[in-house]
Amino acid sequence: MMDMTSSKDGQSPPNSKKTSKKPKYSKFSQQELPAWKPFLTPGWVIATFTAIGIIFIPIGLASLFSSGKVVEAEFRYDETCLSPDVAKDAVAYIKSDTTNKTCTHKWIVEQKMQAPVFIYYQLENYYQNHRRYVKSRNDKQLWRKSAELQTDHCDPVDKTEGKEPIVPCGLIAWSMFNDTYKFSIDNKDLTINKKNIAWGSDKNSKFGHEVYPKNFQSGGLIGGAKLNESVPLSEQEDLIVWMRTAALPTFRKLYGKIESDLEVNDEIEILIQNNYNTYEFQGRKKLVLSTTTWIGGKNRFLGVAYLCVGGLSLFCAIGFILLYVVKPRPLGDPSYLSWNRNPGILK
Amino acid sequence: MIPRHLEWLGMSHLITALILYGYLIPISLYVSIEVVKVLQATFINQDILMYDEETGTPADARTSNLNEELGQVDTILSDKTGTLTCNQMDFLKCSIAGTQYGASSSEVELAAAKQIASDLEDGDSDLSNFPLRHRKAQVSWENIDKVDEIELETVVTSKGDEDQKHAIKGFGFEDDRLMNCNWLQEPNVDDILLFFRILAVCHTAIPELNEETGGFTYEAESPDEGSFLVAAREFGFEFCRRTQSSIFTRERISASGQVVEREYKLLNLLDFTSKRKRMSVIVRDEEGQIFLLCKGADSIIFDRLSKNGKAYLEATTKHLNDYGETGLRTLALSYRRLEEKEYSDWNNEFQKAKAAVGADREAMLERVSDIMEKELILVGATAIEDKLQKGVPQCIDKLAQAGLKIWVLTGDKMETAINIGFSCSLLRQGMKQICITTNSDSVSNDTKQAIKDNILNQITNATQMIKLEKDPHAAFALIIDGKTLTYALEDDVKLQFLGLAVDCASVICCRVSPKQKALVVRLVKQGTGKTTLAIGDGANDVGMIQEADIGVGISGVEGMQAVMASDFSIAQFRFLERLLVVHGHWCYKRIAQMICYFFYKNIAFGLTIFYFEAYTGFSGQSVYDDWYMILFNVCLTSLPVISLGVFEQDVSSEVCLQFPALYQQGPKNLFFDWYRILGWMANGLYSSVVIFFGTVLIFYEQAFRVDGQTSDLASLGTTMFTCIIWAVNCQISLTMSHFTWIQHLFIWGSIVTWYLFLMMYGALSPNLSHSAYHLLIEALGPAPIYWATTLLATVACILPYLVHISFQRCFSPMDHHIIQEIKHYKKDIEDQSMWVRESSKARQETKIGFTARVEAKIRQLKGKLHKKQSFLNILSPVRT
Repeated sequence: MMDMTSSKDGQSPPNSKKTSKKPKYSKFSQQELPAWKPFLTPGWVIATFTAIGIIFIPIGLASLFSSGKVVEAEFRYDETCLSPDVAKDAVAYIKSDTTNKTCTHKWIVEQKMQAPVFIYYQLENYYQNHRRYVKSRNDKQLWRKSAELQTDHCDPVDKTEGKEPIVPCGLIAWSMFNDTYKFSIDNKDLTINKKNIAWGSDKNSKFGHEVYPKNFQSGGLIGGAKLNESVPLSEQEDLIVWMRTAALPTFRKLYGKIESDLEVNDEIEILIQNNYNTYEFQGRKKLVLSTTTWIGGKNRFLGVAYLCVGGLSLFCAIGFILLYVVKPRPLGDPSYLSWNRNPGILK
Repeated sequence: MIPRHLEWLGMSHLITALILYGYLIPISLYVSIEVVKVLQATFINQDILMYDEETGTPADARTSNLNEELGQVDTILSDKTGTLTCNQMDFLKCSIAGTQYGASSSEVELAAAKQIASDLEDGDSDLSNFPLRHRKAQVSWENIDKVDEIELETVVTSKGDEDQKHAIKGFGFEDDRLMNCNWLQEPNVDDILLFFRILAVCHTAIPELNEETGGFTYEAESPDEGSFLVAAREFGFEFCRRTQSSIFTRERISASGQVVEREYKLLNLLDFTSKRKRMSVIVRDEEGQIFLLCKGADSIIFDRLSKNGKAYLEATTKHLNDYGETGLRTLALSYRRLEEKEYSDWNNEFQKAKAAVGADREAMLERVSDIMEKELILVGATAIEDKLQKGVPQCIDKLAQAGLKIWVLTGDKMETAINIGFSCSLLRQGMKQICITTNSDSVSNDTKQAIKDNILNQITNATQMIKLEKDPHAAFALIIDGKTLTYALEDDVKLQFLGLAVDCASVICCRVSPKQKALVVRLVKQGTGKTTLAIGDGANDVGMIQEADIGVGISGVEGMQAVMASDFSIAQFRFLERLLVVHGHWCYKRIAQMICYFFYKNIAFGLTIFYFEAYTGFSGQSVYDDWYMILFNVCLTSLPVISLGVFEQDVSSEVCLQFPALYQQGPKNLFFDWYRILGWMANGLYSSVVIFFGTVLIFYEQAFRVDGQTSDLASLGTTMFTCIIWAVNCQISLTMSHFTWIQHLFIWGSIVTWYLFLMMYGALSPNLSHSAYHLLIEALGPAPIYWATTLLATVACILPYLVHISFQRCFSPMDHHIIQEIKHYKKDIEDQSMWVRESSKARQETKIGFTARVEAKIRQLKGKLHKKQSFLNILSPVRT
């Protein structure tokens, strides 16, 4: 017996040391934190699917309705503007400085378009999202006059042959769209408002008030539009719009707004200056006029998708209701435990 | 800089593509898994229920990369000494002169008897109608199981009490009839006296006086012998001195407690060898009488009894069987009175043999000893408990119910191993023991090939026997020794051996070397292809701990080698249950779900990048801002997935322990099979298609705002990214079933973080934010179509998964689903009997473990009852 006590005495110092290794109890360390343990009861399943259906179908209907209210008209003009004699060598025609590139298009308004009517140009098969194209710009140079020498990433449109910096440099600016449109009803010109077609933040914070175009389109290769060297970049809204690179090879960009209603049967004459060379890469050019609503332009897909998802969801809800009726399973019924269902496998 | 050289161009393009498509290969998965595993390991270390108060050691996950394998273990290979047992022998019971002394009958019998009793009560007292009664007994099954549960509980607690009572090391005997000289009132006083004297005299130990206490401690060859001497001391026969020729004892034979010192002249000592399985001493007592006192294995002693020495044979045999069944080590004690003449004649022979020189000296000695150890008179038998570590039988029982196979690999001799097999319930009476051995005599004569053929033959016969067995309850145990194992592990035999071993309910390998332990582990690991776990405590287990998929070391007692080599260390074998059934199960499911989800998330994200490439002429332009891509795996989706991997619990730890069958989800790999992985990948593919093409079609060309502006690269990419963040985070919330505030914070916080990031990024100067400048505030935020797209894409992405899990839970629910429901509706509290019934049914069909043993006993008793019944039925017409 004494033996025991002595050994206990011998152990007590290490004991006190060892107790420090005892894990401290907390709900966290013992993984016993209070928890919400949801699971899908039939009620929840049906309610969820029904709720999705009930929310989605009205949204779908509303956006379809809105999309239906949008009036949109579009003409492809890159082909129609080529007279048959130049159609064989469209590239030479478009590249030549001397040829007359105006063409007219007559259009009768089929549906009333309420102001503002947005004018877009649409390019197709035009890869503005190519990596090296997207990279080919210098934001610093666009914003500050002092940074005009910064032409990194702009190669090959960074400097003139005389090593003068080009402002704005880079392929994006260089390839700027330069077709122009004029609209007239009964020989009376419609005014096109080209103000505020770009994002406000771009005008105010990305394109400088004191930065003026310099040495632009003066090199050997002429790209697209020329810029007025007396207008600061922040005022060049066409450039700002163009410099927002599009995500897909088919894209529209805002050209301007007509701030008067277009009535049904108005005959509008459109004068197109067909300058931009898309013939070399089988690109297509379109002119689009469109009104907008809260969801933007005409797009039936959003509404249809909402209706589909909502409909499927309702269908699932009905399906589950039927399944629960046909084959109900009481919740927490132990007879569904695997050892009760397959007595052969488990005991 | 435009690359001027084609090689350069190609290289840079390749690298761009690698970076972009890198999201398809979830490299961040490795990082997240590491983080998760380390945190899981911390939880294992922190588990207070795996902390051993006695030694002051917590569990320690020494490597963190095996957590999930803890949930997939198929076979446990365990060392014996130090792991299952404490290496301490307790004198527990004895049978003297045909009377059984020592408290508590076998636990198994107790449990079975009670169960049967309640069975009869609940059933029907109308015994004449047996089939009906039997059916009713089936109906009342739940009550029986309740009793069963209670039984197990009480067994555990009563064990605990016992442990506290027995302060004397090596002595667990409890019976007042023999203590404090009460035995003097027993009928067979002489035999009892002799019994105690044999205990006190027949040994080779040396006493050591403890200066402080004045008592003796004993240096004995084996712990058994030590416990005999302790027992003798407690009975009042204290062995106190040994000289060259004498043994001295202090005997207290009168009730007054007077102590008499007696001297026994030691004439001869016939040693214990493993072959003889007995030892004897020849002593002359103070009265001058010569005695041969002999103790040995019961079978050996019984063969050598004289005709008039068999008085207690029958009773003793019965007791020995009981002891054996409980896993106690038994020895029979006997004596023989010698005449002076008889002794001196024999002694001459013996001295001659002793003096002989040469190869046959041993044989001669043995033969001479043999002549003397005859005509013995049986006094009684002892039962010694090889003390198991705390909670070992219960732990083995639970592990067996969880469907794990348990092999014992021990360096001990076969008898010890079998005893431990019994006390751990790895073996039981009625189990067919297949002993594969080599006949040691023939080793020298036979060639190696012949031995091997012999072993192969034994293996084939045994396999055949198992195949032909009809009884579904028949259980087989394979016992093999080290020498045989050398042959059985050779390349051409090992597969047959493994085949046999796998068919057996328990496998015990004894007398195995450390190297063989490792080889056996390797055989199981490679032969079955399943996860093995080796557990051991000593340096001799290092080999097998390293060889196994998971090595577990018992820390604390036998040095640090095993712990140093192990992957996990625990202080007690019983903690293995919690380590595997709770932590293993959780970790397996967490990691499995986490990996699947990770695949989903990265495929959903990576593929959208890939689709966009098709629209950019594969130029390497990404639709997302570089920062979005960096943040995607770093902070926008990583924390929810980590919280899934660290905190998810399908059921609570108590339920894991109550329903051991849930563990089988791991070894069966239900949560990480190809069906599931491919399903998640397909889900990822679907989400990527929905998000990419949905967004593209919505933002295609027309104005996306009332102001007429069309979308650009930045607004399209940001919308797409918003959809992905919503979809993957909603998806993970559907995968989880356990939300603490941490999960809520991480999941919903991730979504909020995305908007906050977008706002902050947009607020930076345009030099830093480029096209994202004021994007949310100015362009996307005011556009209803942006929010509408987010809602649509999110719901469309999770819809199929929602349908899938709703359908699955309703029509083919898994076990944890049902248990979650039971827990949620508190059915376990309302209907406790159902809960107890289910938890007792929730186990793999196993033939080992305490519960299996109780069931076997019940079957046996029922069988008897049935026979009796039919016998009565036959008789009854005659009676009436």
